[in-house]
Amino acid sequence: MSQTTYQIRLKHSEGALVRLLGLARRRRFDVTHFVAHPAPDGDFLDVQMTVESERSETVLARQIENLLDVTYVSIASDSPAAYSQVGSAGT
Amino acid sequence: MNGAQFLVKALEKEGVDIIFGYPGGAIMPVYDALLDSTIRHVLVRHEQAAALAADGYARATGKVGVCMATSGPGATNLVTGIANSFMDSIPVVAITGQVATHLLGTDAFQEVDIFGITLPVVKHSFLAAQGDDLGAIVHEAFQIARSGRPGPVLIDLPKDIANTVGDFRFADSLGSNDLGDPPLEAIAHALEMMRESRRPVIYAGGGIGMAEAVAEFRAFVAGTRIPVVSTLKALGALPTDHELFMGMMGMHGNKAANIAVQSCDLLICTGARFDDRATGKLSGFAPHARVIHIDADASEIGKLRQAEAGVTGDMRRALKQLTIPLDDIREWRDECAANKVSHAWTYPPDSREVSATWFLSQLSAQANGNTIIASDVGQHQMWVAQHCSFATPRNHLSSGGLGTMGFGLPAAIGAQMGRPDATVINVTGDGSIMMNLQELATLKRYDLPIKILLFDNHMLGMVRQWQELFHNRRYSEVDLSDNPDFAAVARAMGIPAIRVEESSEVQSAIDRMLSEPGSLLVHVIIHSEANVWPIVGPGKSNSEMMEERRR
Repeated sequence: MSQTTYQIRLKHSEGALVRLLGLARRRRFDVTHFVAHPAPDGDFLDVQMTVESERSETVLARQIENLLDVTYVSIASDSPAAYSQVGSAGT
Repeated sequence: MNGAQFLVKALEKEGVDIIFGYPGGAIMPVYDALLDSTIRHVLVRHEQAAALAADGYARATGKVGVCMATSGPGATNLVTGIANSFMDSIPVVAITGQVATHLLGTDAFQEVDIFGITLPVVKHSFLAAQGDDLGAIVHEAFQIARSGRPGPVLIDLPKDIANTVGDFRFADSLGSNDLGDPPLEAIAHALEMMRESRRPVIYAGGGIGMAEAVAEFRAFVAGTRIPVVSTLKALGALPTDHELFMGMMGMHGNKAANIAVQSCDLLICTGARFDDRATGKLSGFAPHARVIHIDADASEIGKLRQAEAGVTGDMRRALKQLTIPLDDIREWRDECAANKVSHAWTYPPDSREVSATWFLSQLSAQANGNTIIASDVGQHQMWVAQHCSFATPRNHLSSGGLGTMGFGLPAAIGAQMGRPDATVINVTGDGSIMMNLQELATLKRYDLPIKILLFDNHMLGMVRQWQELFHNRRYSEVDLSDNPDFAAVARAMGIPAIRVEESSEVQSAIDRMLSEPGSLLVHVIIHSEANVWPIVGPGKSNSEMMEERRR
């Protein structure tokens, strides 16, 4: 069981947060920490989400990227200072 | 112009020519607007059939299917069909009426949170809570449904927005959705792996058809001359009679196909997702193989099986770049060809009893190339996959991921509406047909020339087979000996029908199916203990196929 923290930016649109949380649960990632706050420009939310799972953190990152509201995902597996960008989602 | 009228105009602008649906309270403004539209509405008799017909239409035509229902139960009845499209990555836009925005969240009459209910089974969804957004929502919904890895998109439309009169505006075009070039490094690595391989196999998936990459795939096979195995959804990507086609792999796959995968040293997975029905026990799947995984959806790469080379981006470009001659695999090809001959399908010796597999093989051999088979789910679905030939994936409609009993008839309706020149055959069973039997009325209403081939073993056959093989013959709730007389039911609903009980009647039934201009239900009685062979048992590796047991 490993713990992973994701930094995510997503559009503040209908159901965006529920979609993200639902994806993590459905893919069998246990959400242990979740903080969301408005990004500086107001149309987006910045989310820090920590999950526990035996499954691949990279695969979940790619699945998060596939959410249409998500514009940015990065992972920090052990050290919160060592974020690495997975990529940014298109439409 | 009100919101509903604008919605219909926006659908027309997206090229929608047909909607499968069922009216009701909250969606009434849209039905009113449809009266003035060029869009044809097909009234089904249950909303689930609307969603499945839209799915079948999309599979058969490659266009986005559209279904529509009212709020509450109308919307929830769509859910199985939407999930079906999601699991098989089919482009569908589902439009639901919703209670007025001021009533949202108040438990109003026929209010249900369809946006929330469908979140796990849509690619994306919209609640059109403001009329100003409607143009952008419709355009984006279609773009999302068809782009990248396709999938269903929901638009939930509150009634007050539908009734609001305003100055609506169409959205600017979002342009094409180019998936981009495959990464050069991944292509180079994949080419190196291909050159090093002596026993390569191509594992073809449904993504080939969805990426419109059939021509490039066939050129890839012709250029590399690598043997090909197929998933259920990829049948037709390579013509079934192609010399390098080994057959369907997996639980009910051809033994030669499974042997090829289990003994290959390189697996080139092309638009497939290592589904458990295809792989069997994952840890025992292709145990000697390095893997190249080509897929438009990067999240599939490494999800279940690690790939040494993950090739994302435009599949057509990837396949072109990977098409190289391989000089050192002749021995392997010969071995695969010999296995294919050794494990070719055989048919029961002549007997009075009808063999479903022989019936299907004969029907398929005599049907023309523009024949679509929309299969239901169960034993007959696997028999179709095993014994029918397909010239293109668009001619084989099958509920692969969700395994939705009741899929076949509505999917056939959607396919026939989308391709009126095609011969459309729904192959079904006595369990599946009852799940959407009411759609015989839709067949009659629109005078559709669909042929229904119903194999009746008076059983839930696949479940019975599993209980026989894996539950010590403890048969639980699989007896359907009280089935209605399906031919009589069909006739009562205005569909001509015949009954076939003996093998001597098969050819005349095929003749009628392929020559009569209108609809026809062929009710075929088969043995109640007919099984699908071979089979890989639950939790077993594809190396451990069980073969036919003579009773």
